[in-house]
Amino acid sequence: MDKKYKLVQKVPKTPKSAYNHHRFISSLIHHQLKHFNELEKSLLKAGKKLTDLSRIKTELHASKYLKKMTALLHPQGVEKPQKTVRRKKVRKAAKVRAKSKQVKRRRRA
Amino acid sequence: MPAGLDKLKHIVVLMMENRSFDHMLGGLMKQNPRINGLTGNEVNPDMTGTMVKVQPNAKFQGQLDHDPDHHFPGVDLQIFGGTPPGAGRAANMQGFIKSYATQGTSTNASRAIMSYFPPDQLPVLTRLATEYAVFNGWFSSIPGPTICNRAFAHYGTSFGNVDMNLFYIQDPIASIYERMIQAGHTAKIYYYDQQSSTMEIVNLLKNQPKIFGSYKQFIADCNGNTLPEYSFIEPCYNDHPGPGGGQILASDQHPDHNVREGERFIANTYNAIRTNPQLWETTALLVVYDEHGGIYDHVVPPAVQSDGYSASAAKTGTGEAFNFDRLGIRVPAILVSPYIPRGTVVAGPEDPNSGRIFEHACIPGTVTSFFLKNYDNRTIREKNSQSFLTPLTNTLRPDDDCWVFAV
Repeated sequence: MDKKYKLVQKVPKTPKSAYNHHRFISSLIHHQLKHFNELEKSLLKAGKKLTDLSRIKTELHASKYLKKMTALLHPQGVEKPQKTVRRKKVRKAAKVRAKSKQVKRRRRA
Repeated sequence: MPAGLDKLKHIVVLMMENRSFDHMLGGLMKQNPRINGLTGNEVNPDMTGTMVKVQPNAKFQGQLDHDPDHHFPGVDLQIFGGTPPGAGRAANMQGFIKSYATQGTSTNASRAIMSYFPPDQLPVLTRLATEYAVFNGWFSSIPGPTICNRAFAHYGTSFGNVDMNLFYIQDPIASIYERMIQAGHTAKIYYYDQQSSTMEIVNLLKNQPKIFGSYKQFIADCNGNTLPEYSFIEPCYNDHPGPGGGQILASDQHPDHNVREGERFIANTYNAIRTNPQLWETTALLVVYDEHGGIYDHVVPPAVQSDGYSASAAKTGTGEAFNFDRLGIRVPAILVSPYIPRGTVVAGPEDPNSGRIFEHACIPGTVTSFFLKNYDNRTIREKNSQSFLTPLTNTLRPDDDCWVFAV
């Protein structure tokens, strides 16, 4: 927020311990998966096996399946992978570090 | 028409998960007696017959880790206290602990269903409820679970379904999004991200991928003044890894997801509108919960005009058919706009003279009536539903009079 506001309510942070992607899925998520599974049937290519929902036990498993299915249905919503950008940054940072080491070595020499 | 409605260009609905009115906002009655919350003396019997009072000891997480039953037979028990279906039985809201106990929770743990949050524990919801308009009489559409209740928010009906199963749209009823787009208007459902995706199921996802966007897109649309006329926002429904090794927490407040993360999500959504002056003056934000999630509320759900469908006794699981002629349990609902005077309370069934009843069919009902005016292909129940925009007045509150959240 760039602008300064007169009335500001602080909102407490959620503790990191709240996160648990190994939590077993609720009935709600189970049914969400069932609906997507129905849809998968209609999208299934010849020779491909339908996802076995009984193997999806945790929220992490569920999120992976939902991502796969949503990407098929809503390709415009696919978020661009950020890895390439990070690698470039990492490489740049590594180059800078290597250069500064070389300079230091030269100075010592 | 009041200036608030005259200037209105966007309606945004944020639908959270599974918390009752009394659980989230019941504690506010001590601050404002016009809010139909808890006196502190409301009771339910536990399995030993002991009467257990409501307690201001709700926890953000870990208290309802055994997801309280909110399927049709479970809610029937909660509302009617265990009296089997039949002529003359009366709702008494006395079966909440019994219902939770039948899920294998201990006597002590089953009492947690009577817990509620003191207002200071929920700074975001409390702030919005006291600063703008809170509805005393907004009920879930069906005494049942999520999917059929959410269907009412999208279609004004669940097409006869009272459960979580996949359903199919029946002509001529179209979703509010299709109605809007076909008439040359704009509408979108924003799901949190692909890993969380949507509860608005196969029907729409299959046929209308163009109406979907992510929450990231919602924020961009707010910042870029490209928000559709109607937006429906879904919170994150599961914990999952985020981009770059981060962690994304579920923000839906469904037990046993952390309630605080939901507060942050509501605050972020509000801020996205509030901090854009152009959007702030032309947008109404409705924060509402899909159903009560099995958690105690003291108000007896009222009767409602049927949507013309019926669910058989086999479908309801209670031994009795359901004609969609009474509502589910009450849920929190708050309307936000700078045209709403501070401390507005929309009276509900506690006021027999001027009280009004709201439910999720009011969502497509209000959006359709506001943007499309006359539109026939909808249920009689939706057509006759109350507009939730009536709290908007002629007077714009000064910018300095409206809060922002530091998230």
